[in-house]
Amino acid sequence: MPLAVEMLNISKYFPSSGVQANRRVNFAVEKAEVHALVGENGAGKTTLMNILYGLLHHDEGEIRVNGRPVSIHHPNDAIRLGLGMVHQHFKLVPSFTVAQNILLGMEPSRFGLLRTGMENEMVRQLAEDFGLRVNPGDRVRDLPVGMQQRVEILKTLQRDAQILLLDEPTAVLTPQEVHELFEIIRGLAARGRTVVLITHKLPEVMAVADRVTVMRRGEVVGTLPLAQTSIPELAKMMVGREVLFTVEKKPASPGPAALEVDDLIVAGVGGAPAVMGVSLEVRTGEILGIAGVNGNGQTELVEAITGLRPVEGGQVRLLGRDISHWPVNERRAQGVAHIPEDRLGMGLNVATTLDENVVVSRYRLPEFSRWGILLLDAIRRLAARIVELFAVASARPGEGIATLSGGNLQKVVLGRELAGDPRLIVANQPTRGLDVGSIEFVHKTLVEARDKGAAILLVSVELEEIQALSDRILVMYRGQIAGELSEAEATEEKLGVLMAGGQLESK
Amino acid sequence: MSDRLKVQLTEALLIPVLAVLSGLALASIFVLLTDVPPLRAYVELYKGGFSCAELTRCNLFQSLQLATPLLLTGLSAVVAFRSGMFNIGQEGQFLIGATMAAWLGFAIHLPPVIHPAFVIAASMLAAGIYGWIPGVLKVRLGVNEVITTIIMNNIANLFMTYIVNFPLRADTGTTAHSPLIDETARLPVFFQGSKWGVGFILALLAALLVYLYLWRSTPGYEQRMAGQAPLFARYGGIRSDSAAIRGMFISGALAGMAGAIEILGVHRRLLQGFSTGLGFDGLLVAILGRAHPLGVVLVAILFAGVRLGAQIGLQTSVHIPRELGGGIIALIILFVAAENFYRGWINRVKEGVKRLAARKA
Repeated sequence: MPLAVEMLNISKYFPSSGVQANRRVNFAVEKAEVHALVGENGAGKTTLMNILYGLLHHDEGEIRVNGRPVSIHHPNDAIRLGLGMVHQHFKLVPSFTVAQNILLGMEPSRFGLLRTGMENEMVRQLAEDFGLRVNPGDRVRDLPVGMQQRVEILKTLQRDAQILLLDEPTAVLTPQEVHELFEIIRGLAARGRTVVLITHKLPEVMAVADRVTVMRRGEVVGTLPLAQTSIPELAKMMVGREVLFTVEKKPASPGPAALEVDDLIVAGVGGAPAVMGVSLEVRTGEILGIAGVNGNGQTELVEAITGLRPVEGGQVRLLGRDISHWPVNERRAQGVAHIPEDRLGMGLNVATTLDENVVVSRYRLPEFSRWGILLLDAIRRLAARIVELFAVASARPGEGIATLSGGNLQKVVLGRELAGDPRLIVANQPTRGLDVGSIEFVHKTLVEARDKGAAILLVSVELEEIQALSDRILVMYRGQIAGELSEAEATEEKLGVLMAGGQLESK
Repeated sequence: MSDRLKVQLTEALLIPVLAVLSGLALASIFVLLTDVPPLRAYVELYKGGFSCAELTRCNLFQSLQLATPLLLTGLSAVVAFRSGMFNIGQEGQFLIGATMAAWLGFAIHLPPVIHPAFVIAASMLAAGIYGWIPGVLKVRLGVNEVITTIIMNNIANLFMTYIVNFPLRADTGTTAHSPLIDETARLPVFFQGSKWGVGFILALLAALLVYLYLWRSTPGYEQRMAGQAPLFARYGGIRSDSAAIRGMFISGALAGMAGAIEILGVHRRLLQGFSTGLGFDGLLVAILGRAHPLGVVLVAILFAGVRLGAQIGLQTSVHIPRELGGGIIALIILFVAAENFYRGWINRVKEGVKRLAARKA
């Protein structure tokens, strides 16, 4: 039986950024298997898949689909060959129904008139064939993310995709949704479809894949059947060295309180209160972790502390001073650093240069401007220092940052926020979407900052991260603190109970 | 120079040139309808807009004079764009500046040099405030600046018409106009016979200042960040609101400067129906100039030259209606808007060259 996909000696060079994204890559996928393509951010996985899907064109090499050499210049060619791709960011029309999205561009019609009555029935049939539960009449904008992804998958199946390429499909899902997605993937493989899963999360690979190909720096390190490998081995192949899965840290030696929050009330997006009477304290030299399911007021809490969202009631104090109503720049001047959840929208301006990105929180300091004139040389030196200290690969002072990988972008944010030795670091989901090596780096950096005497408020939905880093842990549930646990007491079970709104039995 | 920069630079230069050539090529179809060979028409167009027979009868100088207000209204639009505001109010701000200049030009008496300097400053202040109003309305009350600036264009136009017909009306001629401004208030011209003068130098100076402001100063940095990535700016501690308002004030002031220079350097008095859509041309100049001061300078001169060339080259020499000039400009705009079309071509050519080189090697 011919292979579903064969990519032979594929090379791709990006002249604009000077990156050799793929170097003589060989990649083969068997029919009806689930094949994981893993590697760190920037290893070239997405480039390889974009070449296969016709979004990019390779410089050299050959592609075969079902044993026949093909040339794919456009996604339409790929679709004709039975390929389907689900991107990390969905490409759905929010105001359309599920059925309208799935049938977009191939609506049933007669005499040039749409037959809208048929749409829902067609989609229901399709979903049934593949065992995917969807309601064809729902509007996409009302659906949770996991459901939207299902719509994307059905869209490719409607176009008769035999080979599905899923780019980081779990990045946006809750654990429950991830579980459901894996069932769908297994179901597709059982029905003879081939699935290529691009990811950097190794536990997921172990859970769902048949075989795995590891990429590093544009090259394939190896392809292995799942039965013959393990998470530590794959991690080592990905990163090129042993990876520590635990963070080394000494016990905290907390000093006086740096941040005190008293009975804080903050409004959410719709105006309804999202934070309702939260009180907490972060001392210098300690990491306070805030666990909780996404959307329980964590972001609003962070934004109220950093000055991006007005405080409706209660108080925020920094080193004893009431900063509740201070503007952002004054808080920053007093040593508040903020690693935001939304890296690309808030943490960085990807349309401009590295220099202008790293100077945003301090361009008014005499070091970087005088009489309102920017001191470009000093700013360039700051950028160079951050690139060096934080090992931001392929970033160059004076040039744009749009082509940097996620991990490197986060290093730019970290470098900027930590460069001034801040007193308080508010980190919201600091490792979201990062690969193993980058996560390790972020964790190490935060612990170092703590040991230098910074107070750190860490908000994360990843329980492992909270447990690995925090000295004390608070759980947020529906805008309130559901409970506090010390590092020693915090087991996954206890945290889970509090996160779901339950009560711990009194000791 | 890095590869990246080289790519950007070639694109920045190549695309406008290709757009101009394509615009001219397509316009030749219309020229052919008039029985004049297109090449001859374009030679006449060029001569009419950019040639220089002698210093006192020089078309190029006249083009530069016509480019002056375009340059300034273009800069005005650039400053607003770069702070994330869509100021369509150049027309109105231009008229406010012109009205102010026409009034102060005869109503107060000051020594030379000081007089025009004072008048230009006052006009810029008045027009700046006129631009500041929609800025404040947008930031404080969330009123869309596109709508307010358009409405304020009409208000300014009617206000100017009233002023020139009643309070400042000089005599009872057929077209209402205000008294001539003082000799002392005039901006000197370089050569007798054209009105190309100091105003053009002031406009170039303004372009340089706008560049330095936007890319070398802290308030300019604030404005660009707030315009490009509002959330990022707020997160970094930039007060986007005041940056936007400041952007609108400066934008208005630049349009007002254009108005003042038109009065002090060219018309010397306010006339009924004085502006001919200069404000709107400024928007186009800014877009074609890729919202960059240098681009604005080049495009403003190109615009003025093509327009003048169409008038005295095409219409006078070969009897093609001068409206064709507007047509050519419109086609060039269309082709610039289709820049991705060229980018595809450029890349394909590059790939071809690379493959050829690889085959040889």
